[in-house]
Amino acid sequence: MPDSGYPWPIETTRLDNGLRVVVSEDRTAPAVAVNLWYDVGSRHEPAGQTGFAHLFEHLMFEGSVNVAKTEHMKLIQGSGGSLNATTNPDRTNYFETVPAEHLELALWLEADRMGGLVPALTQHTLDNQRDVVKNERRQRYENVPYGDAWLRLLPLLYPPGHPYHHATIGSMADLNAADLATFQAFHQTYYAPDNAVLTVVGDATAAEVFALAQRYFGAIPARGDIPAAPDGHTVARTDRPAVETVTADVPAARVYVAHRTHPFGSPGYDVATVAATVLGSGRGSRLYQRLADGERLAQPDLVGAYGVDLAHAPAPVIATATARPGVSAERLAEGVAEVVDELATVPVTAAELDRAKALLSTAWWRQMATVDGRADALGRYATQFGDPAKTADRLPGWLSVTATQIAELAADVLTPADRVTLTYLPEETS
Amino acid sequence: MTLITTRPGPGTARPYRFPTVVRRDVAGGRVVAAHLPGQNLAVALLLLDAGAGREPVGKEGLGAVLAKALEEGTAQRDATTFALAVEGLGTELATGLDWDTFQVSVQVPVDRLGAAVELLAEAVRTPRLDPDDVRRVRDDEATALRMDWANPGPRADAALRADLFGAQNRWGRPLYGDPDSVAGLDVEDVTVFHSEWFLRPGTLVVAGDLDRIDLDALGTAAFAGTGGGPVERGGPIEVPLPAGRRIILVDRPGSVQSTLRLGHPSPHRAHPDHVPMALAGTVLGGAFTSRLNHLIREVRGYTYGIRGDFASSRRFGRFAVSAGVQTAVTAPALVEAVGEITRTRAGGVTEDELAVARSWRAGQLSVELQSPRAIASALTTLVVHDLPDDYHARLREALLAADVAQVSAAAATHLHPEALTLVIEGDAALIRDELVASGLGEVTDHAG
Repeated sequence: MPDSGYPWPIETTRLDNGLRVVVSEDRTAPAVAVNLWYDVGSRHEPAGQTGFAHLFEHLMFEGSVNVAKTEHMKLIQGSGGSLNATTNPDRTNYFETVPAEHLELALWLEADRMGGLVPALTQHTLDNQRDVVKNERRQRYENVPYGDAWLRLLPLLYPPGHPYHHATIGSMADLNAADLATFQAFHQTYYAPDNAVLTVVGDATAAEVFALAQRYFGAIPARGDIPAAPDGHTVARTDRPAVETVTADVPAARVYVAHRTHPFGSPGYDVATVAATVLGSGRGSRLYQRLADGERLAQPDLVGAYGVDLAHAPAPVIATATARPGVSAERLAEGVAEVVDELATVPVTAAELDRAKALLSTAWWRQMATVDGRADALGRYATQFGDPAKTADRLPGWLSVTATQIAELAADVLTPADRVTLTYLPEETS
Repeated sequence: MTLITTRPGPGTARPYRFPTVVRRDVAGGRVVAAHLPGQNLAVALLLLDAGAGREPVGKEGLGAVLAKALEEGTAQRDATTFALAVEGLGTELATGLDWDTFQVSVQVPVDRLGAAVELLAEAVRTPRLDPDDVRRVRDDEATALRMDWANPGPRADAALRADLFGAQNRWGRPLYGDPDSVAGLDVEDVTVFHSEWFLRPGTLVVAGDLDRIDLDALGTAAFAGTGGGPVERGGPIEVPLPAGRRIILVDRPGSVQSTLRLGHPSPHRAHPDHVPMALAGTVLGGAFTSRLNHLIREVRGYTYGIRGDFASSRRFGRFAVSAGVQTAVTAPALVEAVGEITRTRAGGVTEDELAVARSWRAGQLSVELQSPRAIASALTTLVVHDLPDDYHARLREALLAADVAQVSAAAATHLHPEALTLVIEGDAALIRDELVASGLGEVTDHAG
């Protein structure tokens, strides 16, 4: 068994209201990372309310009972800190890294918006952040070539009613229809201490953090009966390829080949992660060697494969390539499909496997090189797998994957019969 | 429910400490390293005086093409064998280019650093540069730029740069070139540029646990086979301010947002006002809480985000603001942005705003300097701008000591709202009339 992927101490406690607190002390730098995972994401959104979890994340920066609008940002930046938040299908995370003497401030701010957001939420704030999010949608998805690929892949991968069927950014129509009462209820339902994990990593002791957590979060009541998202763990095989072709204002043909694999955190997804690295990470990958270098079908900088680390359903592995001038979309799509198919038929060599594991090891230690990277990992494993110490298992999990397992995975879930292919074609130019 | 209503004050701050810096002359070159005890990962970065500023006018993109060509095989091994060797160590060759330098780096678990630097040096010093490969890489790079230029932004950036610095100058043309300049390069351009600039020793920057790293061995590998001394780097360039404000309209039919790029020339990096300028830029547009982001995003909801800053290289600098705004509010967003720049110049900053800006910038020197990659980048700043080992500690002191009068004076001296070039990339048919009616400046349609 390879070494642990988390050679730092981890201490945990749970407050009476259910808030789980995770601390990993490291006094190397005078900085401390504070991270909250709320176990709510776009998978919880019912029809007609797509994009609400993410829009709600924006509202969390707009003030709470003791914190004025935009004061959260001002106080964290004014203490020298960095901060942000993200929403994905699975969860919403909020995080700041501050010089260690401002730890208490960060905890106070997080507690105030966990326990006191609703009274501060106004129609004006909602309208403003709705406009901001609509501009985010324009900027990231609508105004850039291929920007809507993820929005198109999800409904091809997951059937209607599945919690991953719709994208986290949501639809413009749903965003327009969002009303204040829905968001008040959203907070009351999901932003409860018993639906969250607070992680602190860096220049602080566990005893100190536990005491501060009790002081600031201890009086926030538990919610108790938090409704679960629809279960999506089983997605029936279609045994029918899904194909979509889009003609758009794009500079070259591009293809995405996607498959459902296994949920993040499972042994099967470790195999999928290594397989995706063999397939599409770096110049030594199969896709690069075959399509960018060998047959020269694909643009070298735009060929690759990756897994999307989602934990509540079979997570996607996506391979993509963009055509060189003069190469047809059909030829490119065939080329990508051939390389994916060969994962089942052409055994992965020891050199390929070592290369993939070496790249994954570096990527792992890169995340672990900062207190914020560590805090997010601990929060994830505590939230999704009930134990932050499971963080240590991911790297050994990757390193134990064998060539045989990759071939078996490919034969099982990367098959042509269960494949999603999304192709972009450039508009005819006059 | 009882939330604590009183905001807690800070605890006792630990003293600021930048990692110990080691500078050593090895094998004709210079090694600059930072000690990160216990860190599992290490970074080595070779810094060459071969930035885009070294490219001849008309040959923009040379460095970017050469960067790709380095990976197409070496004197010892072909491209695939090389890629497998590098990636087998868990890294890729990361190349970077700015106006002052060309950088190649590796990031690996510390016990693999020696092997990774040997491969890095092999690619930089002895690339194969087979003519067929160079032509192919050039064509690929031209296509990649064409793809990139289909996004909003690059055309607007190029229009702004040309207007600020003059397209007759290298620094008035895009950092990475444009699709046509790259397509026009020939093999000899690349091989000559390599022999002129890539065989000088340069500086090897290392960040990692120095107890587990042999700096002499790394330097010996990095500088083997090099020669030639440093070359005159040229002094600051005087860039005249435009006589008036103008609008350049770059057409992007069907665009649902307008991409704004506003700017004017500003001082080079070594200018004595560097710190107060940086703080003025932070108050105006550098942080989420900045005046521009507050007004245009948080009050108006016109954008997902708007940023502005002073940026500088050894020889020149610029002030610039960038944002994507919904098409329908292009003119109002522009009017408000110019108005905020004008107010900041005229009225300076407040103590309240400055307190946030100086603490933020000072705190970032702890918070954002954790990883070996970030430390290596900080060391690069020391090397490129001839700064001392304790630069970051001194910078921190200077930031914390800057007062309202100094920062307001920097805003008054270095912001020039009346000389801004306003580049708007968007659906011209929908926004031209509004832009003309805004009265912000004469509207010119960008050619091409």
